[in-house]
Amino acid sequence: MEPAMVERTIAIIGGIIVAIVSAIALKNDWKTPGLDNQVFKLMLGLLVIGAIVALLAGVGVLGTFPKAA
Amino acid sequence: MAVASIPHGALVDGHGEADQLYVETRELRLQGFLLFLVSDCVLFSSFIFAYLYMRNSGQGWPPPGIHRLDVAFAALNSVILFGSGATMHYALENWKHGNFGRYALFMISTIVLGAMFLGGQAYEYTNLIFNEHVSWAGSGIFGASFFTLTGMHGFHVSVGVIYLTILLLQSVHGIYTKEKYFGLTAGTLYWHFVDVIWVALFSLFYLL
Repeated sequence: MEPAMVERTIAIIGGIIVAIVSAIALKNDWKTPGLDNQVFKLMLGLLVIGAIVALLAGVGVLGTFPKAA
Repeated sequence: MAVASIPHGALVDGHGEADQLYVETRELRLQGFLLFLVSDCVLFSSFIFAYLYMRNSGQGWPPPGIHRLDVAFAALNSVILFGSGATMHYALENWKHGNFGRYALFMISTIVLGAMFLGGQAYEYTNLIFNEHVSWAGSGIFGASFFTLTGMHGFHVSVGVIYLTILLLQSVHGIYTKEKYFGLTAGTLYWHFVDVIWVALFSLFYLL
């Protein structure tokens, strides 16, 4: 297996795990009051987005460029 | 203001008054820390906008002679950092619920994952500098903006790893309690901030 394929596979699996775990944390914290918890919710939401972006990059949906002419 | 009415010696007078002082100043300290994060966000934003401006005014991206960055490795390294954000969050949650063993486990995981991210970045830098011959000063706008922004982020991660290690040691030595743990909250906020900045940098440098 090529190193790039191993990296992509780990990125995909890790991205799924991190996205799910962060989404669960966000769901659990959804009704908590307080300024710090509001910021945590924002950060966790962005973390979920980041994990999905990394997952899509691992799959090859994002970050694939046409070959230079 | 409530803070001004608290006697200066309250911290040493007894636990009750110290707790009262903590409750009354916690929100102020939180606001101060958030203000620090906002100022850091402004710092990154100014560099990011400068990068975007230069990128769009040039002759295509990346400039001729420079290969695209390794997306697969960056995706892996990003997942490591994002994973550390999740473990940090669970570390704080476990501390709040009194599960100190799990807290320590998640905290150590966060520190290890943060160090792994730094190792990955060091590997990427080495590869770029020695194999691709991309450098901070000798590769034009690309090298300057890439190494400045990712280097600045890497510095923040390094500081974060040290900060979290200190927090872990402090919590082991009983500095924080189940009720008084503002340092841990600040540490979690900082680490999440570092993660979120990387979402932007990863997208800008590797995916666009």
